[in-house]
Amino acid sequence: MTDPPDSFWLFLLLVAPAATAVLSLIPVPGVSRTVSRAGSLFTLASALALLGGQASGRWGSYLGLDSLSDVFLVMVSSIYVTSAWYSEGYLRGVHRPFLTSQVYYALLSAFAFSMVATLVVSDLGLMWIGIEATTVASALLVVLERKPTSVEAAWRYTLIASAGLTIALFALLLIYATTGTLDAFALAATHPAVSLPIEMAVALALVGYGTKVGLFPMHTWLPDAHSEAPSPVSAMFSGVLLPTALYAFLRVYAILPTPAPAVLTDLLIVFGLTTALVGAFLLQRQRSFKRLLAYSSMEVMGIALVGVALGGVALYGALLLLFAHAFAKSAAFYCAGNVLRASGTNRIDEVRDLQHSMPRTGGAWVVSAFGVTGAPPFGTFLGELLIVVGAIAAGWFWVALVLILAILVAFLGVNFQIGRMVFGGGAKTPVERGRSTEDGATLAFVNVTIALAIGVVSIPYLSEAIRAAAAVLGGSSP
Amino acid sequence: MYGTAEVVALVGVGILLTALFLQSESFLDPQIQGIALQSLLLAALLGWLAWSEQNLDLAFLAGLTVVIRAVAIPYVLRHQIRAFRWRSREIHAASRVTGHALAAVAVAVIAWFVFQETLSSIFPQPGAALPFVLLVQGLLMLATRSNTLVQVIGYLEEENAIVYAGALFASAFPLFVEIVVFLDVLGVVLVGVILSIQRGVMGSPEAAALEELAG
Repeated sequence: MTDPPDSFWLFLLLVAPAATAVLSLIPVPGVSRTVSRAGSLFTLASALALLGGQASGRWGSYLGLDSLSDVFLVMVSSIYVTSAWYSEGYLRGVHRPFLTSQVYYALLSAFAFSMVATLVVSDLGLMWIGIEATTVASALLVVLERKPTSVEAAWRYTLIASAGLTIALFALLLIYATTGTLDAFALAATHPAVSLPIEMAVALALVGYGTKVGLFPMHTWLPDAHSEAPSPVSAMFSGVLLPTALYAFLRVYAILPTPAPAVLTDLLIVFGLTTALVGAFLLQRQRSFKRLLAYSSMEVMGIALVGVALGGVALYGALLLLFAHAFAKSAAFYCAGNVLRASGTNRIDEVRDLQHSMPRTGGAWVVSAFGVTGAPPFGTFLGELLIVVGAIAAGWFWVALVLILAILVAFLGVNFQIGRMVFGGGAKTPVERGRSTEDGATLAFVNVTIALAIGVVSIPYLSEAIRAAAAVLGGSSP
Repeated sequence: MYGTAEVVALVGVGILLTALFLQSESFLDPQIQGIALQSLLLAALLGWLAWSEQNLDLAFLAGLTVVIRAVAIPYVLRHQIRAFRWRSREIHAASRVTGHALAAVAVAVIAWFVFQETLSSIFPQPGAALPFVLLVQGLLMLATRSNTLVQVIGYLEEENAIVYAGALFASAFPLFVEIVVFLDVLGVVLVGVILSIQRGVMGSPEAAALEELAG
């Protein structure tokens, strides 16, 4: 189907961030900021229009949409908008930035464009290019603050992510050599016969794309890049880059018939549970609050992967979890950015009493910490609950128990540390008070409210779209 | 006159030998020459396949392999060594050369058997396991070395493995040329930009164990 209105919105969806990336380079003060804000809003409007119109179908040989891509597009473009708006205040606090603001905004939009492009293509090869493009566009953003740690983090990120993606490319070579096509939609519709090369390709794709998702043991770039990147970029990393990489894997996984071969289901569950547990336990010993949030993202990705493996209602829960987590985690990173700017440190032990020094940021941070750790009634809670219920319903009791353990450990670790920073007394590092350092608090409240609303009310169009997206992958809604 | 099977096998063995040489070397100049030689061998293979199959894409890839991975990136890497005022040897790997060499041989043998057991029925071409072995060697290099220049060489080796695999058993792979061009762009970004920044900010190509990144 190539409905003309959908074609227009799809065109705008691709052109808006690409044009924004180019126009942001105009060397006139304020233009890059204004252009990136406008461009991100156009991108979000297009994604919402496609979601509202339940856009699905093919556009030529290489473009295609269905409910799954519609949902991910709204997720990516929403966080692109809030990060573009949050960036101005954050950049004011960066001394001797490595990039000019024009280049920063251009790369931010190029990063968003690469994710959007990944989500609208129907060819697995182009999808791979899109994921690799996210690395190229975002690597330089990590070194914005010109610190040795930032350079080291950017290096690890580029190298480890690229190494992982070459494995994913090898998986695509196997799929093509076996089936003669890389058309994700056609492969998902026809389900090629399960053979050893196909199973091996899916396993290699899990390892390859899993590197970018942050799955254990290929996760080592994730805490470094997330903690060293500027906070608006960290928000995009944690909130939408990891799910976009997972989306690329889901497109490969979708070529398998439902239910998938047991060996692959088991592999996904092992990777997912290990990642969730390692993330939950490693976050307990973090001294940097941004690394704390990064490990929390790793834990969430592990849980979501288990949901994908279990299928059925757990798959619906996984998509709900990813969507709500994107908003809650970006809110948490905006608060972290405010605190970092005001205190000049990212050490948990050196930040105290934010309830008085930064009341709006402190309040938003506590609420968003509850959001990212799946406290009821956030959408993350509902998603995690459905995954646990799905595990029990499928007879995987031990999986449910391990999931509950990971969720509880992460919940206690994140909320205890952020609670200490907000309510604990005896600040060791002076916090700069003032309205300007709390710039992003409102955005954080907006995003965390959306994460809350997802769990409380049925949002028109969105709820139906997530149900339909789960159905695309063979899942079901409660 | 040699047939394609003989050429593939002969050049494949040469490529494998360069991979093992790279693992067992701790001086940077010979490593750079090694990856340039490996890229030239691959380009020769691509050129032969392009000629025998009358495939313009493979000819383009052969040219690209020579220009980017045999000449341009090795040139920049040598320039990086001079800029670092480096004595052209890895610090940490120097005492572990024997271990690296043994590990490389062991991993190559295991990768060969894994391929033969799982995929040889689908890909019966002679030497079809070699790209898989080369990919694993590149990954091993990335995982075991801390010098960023050597890690770039590991990355280039992985890229050579992908091009090798594509040429051998998926030469009709759509967008393959574009993907390889993209990988080369990433390689240039890696080498040209991030290494330069690293030189300016950190002053050494050895990946540091920075306290802030622990945990």
